[in-house]
This record gives sequence, structure tokens and C-alpha cells, in this order.
Amino acid sequence: MFSFIVRRLLVILPMVLIVITIAWALIRLAPGDFYATERGLPPAVEKNIRAKYGLDDAWYIQYGKLMRQLAVLDFGFSRKYQEQTVNEILRRTLPVSIWVGLSAYLIALVLGLTFGTIAALRQNSALDYSSMAAAMLGISMPNFVLGPILVLVFALTLFWLPPGRWEWVEVGGIYLPNIKYLILPAITLSAVYMAYIARLTRAGMLEVLRKDYIRTARAKGLSERQVVFRHALRGGILPVVSYTGPALAFLVAGTVVVERVFALPGLGNYFINAALNRDAPLLLGITAFIAIVVLVFNLLVDIAYAYIDPRIRY
Amino acid sequence: MPDLPDTTSSRTEETTLPAPSEAVATNEINLPEAMAADQLYGTAPPADSIGQETTGGYLEGTSLWRDAWKRLKKNKLAMVGGVVTLIIIFASLFGPYIVKAYNGFDYATIPAERELIEARPPSLLHPMGTDPQGRDILARVLYGGRISLMVGIISTFVSLLIGVTYGSVAGYLGGRIDSVMMRVVDVLFAIPYMMLVIVLLALFEKSLFLLFAALGAVSWLTMARIVRGQVLSLKHQEFVEAARSIGVPTWKIILRHLVPNTLSPVIVYATLTVPSVMLQEAFLSYLGLGVQAPLSSWGTLASEGAQNIAIFPWMMIFPGVVMALTLFSLNFVGDGLRDALDPQMRKS
Repeated sequence: MFSFIVRRLLVILPMVLIVITIAWALIRLAPGDFYATERGLPPAVEKNIRAKYGLDDAWYIQYGKLMRQLAVLDFGFSRKYQEQTVNEILRRTLPVSIWVGLSAYLIALVLGLTFGTIAALRQNSALDYSSMAAAMLGISMPNFVLGPILVLVFALTLFWLPPGRWEWVEVGGIYLPNIKYLILPAITLSAVYMAYIARLTRAGMLEVLRKDYIRTARAKGLSERQVVFRHALRGGILPVVSYTGPALAFLVAGTVVVERVFALPGLGNYFINAALNRDAPLLLGITAFIAIVVLVFNLLVDIAYAYIDPRIRY
Repeated sequence: MPDLPDTTSSRTEETTLPAPSEAVATNEINLPEAMAADQLYGTAPPADSIGQETTGGYLEGTSLWRDAWKRLKKNKLAMVGGVVTLIIIFASLFGPYIVKAYNGFDYATIPAERELIEARPPSLLHPMGTDPQGRDILARVLYGGRISLMVGIISTFVSLLIGVTYGSVAGYLGGRIDSVMMRVVDVLFAIPYMMLVIVLLALFEKSLFLLFAALGAVSWLTMARIVRGQVLSLKHQEFVEAARSIGVPTWKIILRHLVPNTLSPVIVYATLTVPSVMLQEAFLSYLGLGVQAPLSSWGTLASEGAQNIAIFPWMMIFPGVVMALTLFSLNFVGDGLRDALDPQMRKS
């Protein structure tokens, strides 16, 4: 197990490198520069700016600089937001995105597993059909459509929750999000994953419930509860666990959209604007952090997989 | 729900136990036929018919597709989904002309009278209302459908092209090449791909072509895995051995003998890729990175509407509902096709 984790950690490094290199190559190849204005700069000014940021250096010098920055995880100052370093921006915005993303994933996991299991246990019942239809609707509904609908209902009609924005509350020196502001974004983001997880759980459970070891468990006289929770669920949620990796990667994109719907001060807008503004340090910094977060979570998922499935040994 | 444990236990015994035996029974009946058809299908294709055989007449005799059709017809949800999809496709193709004849609006028409340049709720003349520029939303939704469906179909085709080629080559060549190629797929799977697509589209001049390529490039991975799995299980069968023994070149074996046999899971997966690609296009359009004005897709329409939802709810509701309905139906068709073509693989 230990050697497996070490091996996987070693794989993460080149993968972060690949992602960063692709992003770096894209931003180098892209037309336009961060200092470009509608009217254009006097050539002398442009020359100075290019010299200051080393834009005319050979590609390997620039790439080497990037690697040094990556090694210490410090990408220096943003070029668009001149007074802030990339790390300051990340420290301010990353917690928002992570709170939204993780709470969405947890909601999706809990509700998806519940509905999927119930649907599988009562296959072909009205409950099964209705939860699967709801799941299909969740998959088919873009979250930027669901979000405004929820805002319209819960914020602008019922006035239960704020329609957007974000607030931190200090509890004993730790900053926690004000839950009122978290609910709608988290639900909006979770809908798709909830739907996928419910479908995967249902399919997985249906398959497992037919297995011999379930029949054995029943024959031993275990209660239905024990059969389901101890034996079936363990095998049934394996597809859900292996879906977590891709889900995380798409969760990142989903967060970008949801942050825009609810005007959250998260990473998403900075990410897109960094690309639009050709703000290379910011773009590469965000890319690196997200890639690391996603890859580390993938590793955790693999470890969880081994714990859940006794057949897997590393 | 006080009676929950009780009903579950009695129900599971009543309902889930017979169900598997039924499934097993259908498998046992269908499997030999399907295999026979597969083999027939693999050895029989005429030299120049790849890509057309689904419509070609010689399939008449094979029972796999007929069987699948029979099963599909029984699946009401899938059939309804199919009909709805067809209606939406025809509506996007011909609807704009009908609307034009009815009220004189196409997707870009702005009324000449000043007082008509405002968002008006649905009326007889404008069944879906108008937007703040006075444009007819029905016409825009129908036009948007063309773009959205085109993006969905072409990007899926791109992903098919990459995924099938990659997967079949990896599966057929096997050995070290295979493990390296699949390792690459694993690596790409773990990469937050959408991020790179966002970067790509934000950095370069947006064009439909770039959008197709980017979305296609995102969704070929699963396709490659599926095709590889199929090819692995097929490549040691007699018809492939036979082809190899008479000296058919490798590319020809892959193209003429293996790829046609992977068709049914590929069709299923492609059907499910179309809605997911359309959703991603909507995603990107919402962020301002997808389809650019003056063109509009359902994604751009719904995102315009989302900004005005409190004041002009119809601007979002109609495009949103039409899009959700389309994706809904396509997903049902895909699920139904999977159940019909692949009775052993009834996964979610």
C-alpha cells in the first residue's frame, strides 16, 4: 500500500508538468499580449515592457523560469492585477471554490447514494421510475439554467436565501462560509453529479444484489438492513467511487459556471479573465493549483477504492 | 415511512429475484444469435461498404439489428425520446422558414417600428415572446437548434474518429504499444480537461471549427477504451485469424473486420456523447467562449435569458426547456439503444 502511494505520488509530478506545459504552450502560441491596448503602444514603451518581463528571451529560458516558479509554487505578480501576487489571489479565491465544490460533491454523494440504493431495492416501482426520471432531468439540465430558476424561486419569490454573493463568518479564528450563501450554489452544482451517482449506484446495486454472496448473506438469515448496508452497498458503490475522478475534473468547470451565476468571488472568473487578458503568471498558477488538487484527489480516490474493494491489493 | 424495512424485504424477494433470471434467460436466448451475427457480419462486409452498412440492405438477413429494433420498440421511453428528437431536428431544419412565413421574423430580424423594440411576453404572433431587441424568440430557438445540434453531431463525429482509431489500433497491436497507449489515456483522464478547453477557447480566435475540435478532443477517451475492449475480445476469433492468414494488411484488418464489429457499443456511446457535448457547448457559450454572435445556440440563448430571468423569464424558460427536452430525449434514446443492442451490458 505504502509503495503504491509513493508510486502514484511520483506519477502526479509529470502529470502536473504536462498540464502546465500544455497551458504554457497555448498561451505562448496565442495571438495578443497582456499589454495590448486598442490604440497600440509606442514602440519604445512596448520594447521596455517586453524587456521587463523577459518576453523576448528564448523559449527555453522562459520555460526554465516557469519550472523554477513551479518548483517553489510561487508564480510572482499577476500582470493584470498589478499589485497582487498570484498566490494572494489564490489564497483569497481558492477557499470559495473549494467550499462550493466540496459541499456540492458531498450533497451529490449522500443524496445520490440514497436515491440510487432505494431505486435499486425497489426496482420497477414508481419510486424507482420517478427518481430515475429526476436523475435524467438532472443530467439534461444545464446548471446555468437550474441556478437562475432556483434564484427565481428561493431568492426572488420566497425571499428565503440571498440570490448571490458570498460572506465569511469568523468562528473562533477560523473563517467559515455563511451557509445561507452556500446553499443555492452548492445545490445547483451538485444536481448533475447527484443524478450520475444515483444512476451509477442503482446499476451497481442491481448487479451486486444478484450475486451469490448476497444470496449467501440472506441465507445466513441476516436482516435485510445488514445485507444491504454491510454487503451489497460495499460492492454496489464501486462504480461511484471510480466515477469520482472524472467528476472532479468536470466539477472544476462546473464551479466556474456556478460562480458566475451566483457572482461568487471564486477562482473561476479569474481563471477565464486570466486567459482573456493573456495574464500568463495568473493563468499558469491557477492551472497548476487546480491540476494538483484534482490529481491528489484522484489519488485519494484510488486509496479509498482499495479500502472498499477487498479484492484489490496494491 | 414506518413500513420501509418490511416492504423492502418482501419486495426485493418478489421483484429483484425474478428479474435476474429473466435477464439471464434473454441473454441465453440472444447471445448465440448475436454472436453468430457478429461473425457473419465480420466476415461478410463487401469491400467498400464501411460506414454505410447500418442502412445498407444486406443487414436485412442478420438478426442482431432486427432483434435490437424489436427490443427498442418495446422500450416506450426510448421510442418517445426518439420521436421527440426527430421532431426537434425537423423543427430546427424547417421551422425557421415556417416562422418566417408566419410572422416575417428570422433569427436576426429587428422590427422596424421603434415601439416594438422591447421584450414582450408570449403572444399569438410571437409564441415564445420577444427579446429586448424585439427579436422573435421562437425563430431564435429554432435557429439555435441548428447550431446546437450541429455542434453536438460534428463534435461527436470528431471524438468517434479519434476514439475508434486509437482504441482499435491499441487493442489490435496489443503488447507494449497497447499498454503505453492506454497509459496515455489514463493520464489524460485524470487531467482537468475542460480547463484546457477553456484556456484554448479563451486564448484563440473563436471559431466553430475550434469548438468542434476542442469538444471532440475532450470526449474521445471513453470511446477509445470501449473500442479497445471490444477489439481485444475479437482479435483472436477465427475470422480475424483467417484474414491474417491470407495476408490481409493490418490496417485493413482493423478497418474492415474489427471496427465494423465494434459498431454497436460505439453507436450507443456516440448517442450518449451527443447530449453531453451539447451540454458542454452550452457551458462554454454561457462563459462567452462558445458560439459567437451573430450566430446563437441554445446555450447562448439560455445564458442571455439567465441574465434577464427576473424581468423577462420567457427569454430563458423557452430555450432552456427546449434544450433540456432535447438532451432528455437523446439520453433516453441512448439508454434504450444500449439496452437493445447490448443486453448483457445493462449498466446505468
